[in-house]
Amino acid sequence: MTSGDTQWPRYQVFHQEGPDRPHVNSGSVHATDEEMALQNARDVFVRRPDCVSLWAVLATDIHSLTAEELEREGLPESKNEDGDAQTYQVFLKKTHSGSHGHVGAIQATSPAAALAAAVANYGSQGGIVWWVVSDTSIVRTDPGEIDSLFQSAMSKPYRSQSFYHTVTLMRRLREKKGIRE
Amino acid sequence: MTEADHLAAFEARISRGEKIEPGDWMPDEYRRQLIRMISQHAHSEIVGMLPEGEWITRAPNLRRKMVLLAKVQDEAGHGQYLYHAAETLGATREEMIEALLSGKAKYAQVFNYPSLSWADMGVIGWFVDGAAILNQTMLAHCSYGPYSRAMIRISAEESFHMKQGKEQVIVLSQGTEAQKAMVQDAINRWWWPSVMMFGPHDQDSPNSPALIKWGIKTKTNDELRQDFVNQMTPEVFELGLRLPDPDLRYDEASGNWIHGPIDWDEFWRVVKGDGPCNAERIAARTKAHEDGLWVRQALEAYSLRETGAVAA
Repeated sequence: MTSGDTQWPRYQVFHQEGPDRPHVNSGSVHATDEEMALQNARDVFVRRPDCVSLWAVLATDIHSLTAEELEREGLPESKNEDGDAQTYQVFLKKTHSGSHGHVGAIQATSPAAALAAAVANYGSQGGIVWWVVSDTSIVRTDPGEIDSLFQSAMSKPYRSQSFYHTVTLMRRLREKKGIRE
Repeated sequence: MTEADHLAAFEARISRGEKIEPGDWMPDEYRRQLIRMISQHAHSEIVGMLPEGEWITRAPNLRRKMVLLAKVQDEAGHGQYLYHAAETLGATREEMIEALLSGKAKYAQVFNYPSLSWADMGVIGWFVDGAAILNQTMLAHCSYGPYSRAMIRISAEESFHMKQGKEQVIVLSQGTEAQKAMVQDAINRWWWPSVMMFGPHDQDSPNSPALIKWGIKTKTNDELRQDFVNQMTPEVFELGLRLPDPDLRYDEASGNWIHGPIDWDEFWRVVKGDGPCNAERIAARTKAHEDGLWVRQALEAYSLRETGAVAA
């Protein structure tokens, strides 16, 4: 491997399955910039027609707290609270089997304060992981480009298992042989 | 809290069925085993593109070609999901790729066998993906959140991989004599490598007890292998095809199909780098990585020009 040959910074990706659904974490991609992050996110996570919008954010811009960390170490300390408040988007993993989904936005003066507010506002029904992200750190797909980004997946029904009739084929074969199930 | 307290709390969480997430306390050995397993799994998806990729340009019709292209493309994506899951544990993409290209990392031994005829595309889909799905369905219940989520997504997408393969085997098995002979030959070559995919017998699998204790795996290698043999055998016979195992028999008492002895010398030879295609597979990955270097350099130069620095 050549020195200086890196796989680029990591972006976390969130996808939205329908207009009224929350953005949910899909995984991450590596990219040199935001535009490439969204392009790679489309290629890696949207091979099937279940997406209307993608968000990407540098993994290092996500501030995370797990319920286990909260119990073990308490809330992270907020240092400088003098700055102006800004908008943070909050993602919550609510169930053990689920993913991190967008639940809302809060105003806070620091990431630590945002996490504290996220726990207070979005933890009442039990939370497992909280992520807060400054709204300005998120890059979003342009609604005007939905068709060019996501429509091509619609014409590929062969990516779905229902396209293949193996059960019917096996049944016909048995019938032909006179074997009754 | 002492290390022992942390470990007790961690094991209690696992026994309650909770998922462990990045940031949570975990034993070093749990992290090490997961990185080993997930990166091997990622490499398997990436190397697994090669035996099938060779046949995309030789598909017998446009439908089969589009299906095979979509399947191989999925495998590229699944490799990415899995590298991501390993990255959440602190492994870097650079070190994982370096480990693969230098021959240090392992991947599923089955991809070191050659794909010699079009019928292999059917049999790989049915047997190899069928075996992978059994393993992945189990891993979807894994105690590590990011791995479990990757497995749920992969299992949902891969259900078509197995069905497209099985469909082809059914069609070929009812076709001309030449087609029947071609698919039987493919089954003869892929059966044992598929049976070996589940890994060594339980008593010879040193990692298994820790993996099961910590909820990474919920079934043993031999349990999964038995599920596979039970699932495949009756349907292969129904299609009028044979399996290359003279000792294979049905056990009335247990309801299991019992397979004959596995050639573990062959298994270890292929795992350790001396299979029919190991060198060819790594050479193909190395070439892809080296051929892509100028693209990565161009993107870096573009990013530097636009922003003055690569986002960090």
